[in-house]
Amino acid sequence: MELQKFTYDNKLTKLFMLVTVLWGVVAMLVGLTVAFELIFPNMSGGISWLTFGRLRPLHTNAAIFAFVGNGFFAAIYYSMPRLLKTPMYSKAMGNIHFWGWQLIIVLAAVTYPLGLTQSKEYAELIWPIDILVVLVWVVFGLNMIITLVKRRVKHIYVAIWFYIATWVTIAVLYIVNNIQVPTSFLHSYPIYSGIQDALVQWWYGHNAVAFFLTTPILGMMYYFIPKAANRPVYSYKLSIIHFWALIFLYIWAGPHHLLYSALPDWAQALGVVFSIMLIAPSWGGMINGLLTLRGAWDKVREDPVLKMFVVGVTAYGMSTFEGPMLSLKSVNALSHFTDWTIAHVHIGTLGWNAMMNFGMIYWMAPRLFKTKLWSVKLANTHFWIATLGMLFFSIPLYFAGFTQALMWKEFTAQGYLAYPNFLETITQILPMYYLRAFGGTLYFIGALLFVVNVWKTITSGKFARYEEDAAPAKHAPKAGEGWHRKLEGRPLQFTVAALIVIIIGGAVEIIPMYLVKSNVPTISAVQPYTPLELEGRDIYVREGCYLCHSQMIRPFRSEVVRYGDYSKAGESVYDFPFQYGSKRTGPDLAREGVKTLPNYKPDSWHYNHMVNPQQLNAESIMPPHPWLAEWDLDVSNTPSKINVMTYLGVPYPEGYADQAVADLNKQAHGIAEGLRKGGIDVEDNKEIIAIIAYLQRLGTDLYKDK
Amino acid sequence: MATDNKDLHNEEYEYDTLTNERLISDHDYDGIKELDNDLPPWWKWLFYLTIVFAVVYSIRLFVFYSDDLVQERKFAIEMECYQLEAAAAGTDDASVFVEITLLEDDASLASGKATFESICAACHLADGGGLVGPNMTDNFWIHGNTVEDLYNISTNGVIEKGMLPYKDQLSNQKRLEVVSYILVKLAGTTPASPKAPEGTEY
Repeated sequence: MELQKFTYDNKLTKLFMLVTVLWGVVAMLVGLTVAFELIFPNMSGGISWLTFGRLRPLHTNAAIFAFVGNGFFAAIYYSMPRLLKTPMYSKAMGNIHFWGWQLIIVLAAVTYPLGLTQSKEYAELIWPIDILVVLVWVVFGLNMIITLVKRRVKHIYVAIWFYIATWVTIAVLYIVNNIQVPTSFLHSYPIYSGIQDALVQWWYGHNAVAFFLTTPILGMMYYFIPKAANRPVYSYKLSIIHFWALIFLYIWAGPHHLLYSALPDWAQALGVVFSIMLIAPSWGGMINGLLTLRGAWDKVREDPVLKMFVVGVTAYGMSTFEGPMLSLKSVNALSHFTDWTIAHVHIGTLGWNAMMNFGMIYWMAPRLFKTKLWSVKLANTHFWIATLGMLFFSIPLYFAGFTQALMWKEFTAQGYLAYPNFLETITQILPMYYLRAFGGTLYFIGALLFVVNVWKTITSGKFARYEEDAAPAKHAPKAGEGWHRKLEGRPLQFTVAALIVIIIGGAVEIIPMYLVKSNVPTISAVQPYTPLELEGRDIYVREGCYLCHSQMIRPFRSEVVRYGDYSKAGESVYDFPFQYGSKRTGPDLAREGVKTLPNYKPDSWHYNHMVNPQQLNAESIMPPHPWLAEWDLDVSNTPSKINVMTYLGVPYPEGYADQAVADLNKQAHGIAEGLRKGGIDVEDNKEIIAIIAYLQRLGTDLYKDK
Repeated sequence: MATDNKDLHNEEYEYDTLTNERLISDHDYDGIKELDNDLPPWWKWLFYLTIVFAVVYSIRLFVFYSDDLVQERKFAIEMECYQLEAAAAGTDDASVFVEITLLEDDASLASGKATFESICAACHLADGGGLVGPNMTDNFWIHGNTVEDLYNISTNGVIEKGMLPYKDQLSNQKRLEVVSYILVKLAGTTPASPKAPEGTEY
């Protein structure tokens, strides 16, 4: 067989690797900042763009899209040409992918602190950036697919199956979840509202975990573990079964983020059963990774690369067992809205994603720079600090979540809530927040050692941009191949097959939510927001209030007594986007405005609390938001917002956009007048008036006659 | 499981030297080979078991509408159980009678202080100086200053002014303790930043 010569270009791999290191440090630093802000709420110093609600999306997005994302792009640009024995098809497309992705990250890092957000978790980017994301993703995908077409190796390896599934699924998820109607260049409303929006969002959100944080990393695992250990993959059959089972089952599991919510029982049940069925396919990846190391365990003791991989894959196994357990309704009743979830996801990111990235880069950097790892000892130290940091991060939060959930649910013998004041349940777990910040600090120190080691490694070597290789031309398929082997020889059909498999689950769940009316029973008392409330709601979104306050009272006695009647699907039909939230660092606000319920607070309380929460509750960990009382409410976009709402089906009277600002001013005057009577010096046109109007509206529609 | 018997070695196949397991011929990706191992049986059974769980779970919901899976019904049952229990034990609020007299013992006042600081302080401040709610330390009262007056306000609230009713959140005893604490301990003290007097002087 005649060998054909060709050259790999390592430039993009190097660039992706370097930015992975850079963004990893940034993501962790922002994470550490928000962890400390939860202990020292005044740390943000009344500066809007430093508050928890603004920075938290920056932390999650940086960790997911910048750190993990660039890491697996580095993996793909390194492994794919070598697995296919052909360079990546287009350097120009590769450059567009690289620089486009970094531009998106920088734009995110600017827009989030400014409060420009859609409030959908991990899909917060505003619409112009969303378009950019789609364009870059398409360029990346085309480059990958054309490379596949031009390959020399007939059959595609399992790592590439996972890369393909990642690309098609993220494309579908991102586009469907981000369909929105702009009201201005910087603002839009999604076309979905309330429970339908929540279902689409968590179909996306859960599968961002599946197809951005799991499948590409499994692909990475299938290349770098056998390479680093120099061992054959444990089982090809297991690869086939767990790959297809994983991508088919994962897509259904989204509704487990909405258990005990206003989502219909049938959809919740699908979320439960598909999550449970995911255990084995997930573990299939874990055992295929770990058992590949059989015969190489002596190397694991020495080699920090393999150590990182072992802890990474083990953490993957742990969190993919824990996830399904948290999807059981009885467990979820306790865990949901608590720090348990935060602990769970950090086993995934700090354990699985980050360790895999660290291991890969410790392996890859010396190879790209034709040298040895600068210090194996330092890498081992990093390994231990990171492992300890992860444990110090997560274990206290497990305690915190469990403790808080039990406190929320506890009744006295007389039938009263044992802890009627929400704040008591936070004060109780605050020591755990200190420990978490300590764990995060450890982990961050480990990451700095990583930076030093990578830096010293690459400066001690010389970057080898081009690498020669040779392989025979692609051969024709052999006769008598099994059906899957045939499919492996046809990457385009493989891509289409993956697309079909991942579409089924989402379609079965989402389409009936729109077509079958009984899924969202209409409540006639529920009316659209007034223009002032709508503006207030947009401020609520801007400030990231939903990151600490839920608006979803679950049907439990403990919640109904604390917050009022449980939330119904029909109540949030005008919520574009939904604001159910996923964490209660503060109390639920779904019925904040109902005067006869325990949570009600007068306007003056809200004013004082927003400006300086610690004045009212010395132990409160809510950050102050003084700028709300200083900034003028921008009403220039109000008519446009009303028009878009009308277009989306909200029943404002015809031509209401023209009258909206006048109505807004009238309502604002009434509220401001009340505040002034109580001795608060405030003008009608301040933002705080709008957000108070919104809070006082929350949940009131059902209580109008009472 | 794997063909780990050396005797079965066969010319056609390559074998992994460390585990003696069969490698799949012509699977070589940038030097990565794959073993022809079967699925681990425990893994297969785990998968089957979760599928059985899914089927049983679905049948319980979609065919039998089991109470614990139908959310509305589960909630109704939880509330009903509580009411039955409470009635049987005679511990619901209305049945615990408290005589409305000023409590002056240390235990009651300490308990009242704890309640005040955790709940009332949100509007009246921990030292009683008042912010959103009126000052509790001066001699001016909007709705009277007897223990009955304060007890009534803590029970039914003054909704139009933002004072909440606490009858569903705090027991009769707890409310009596907290108003006693206000009248015995807070009244007459000097808070850090007192709110201007409101109401009538007594």
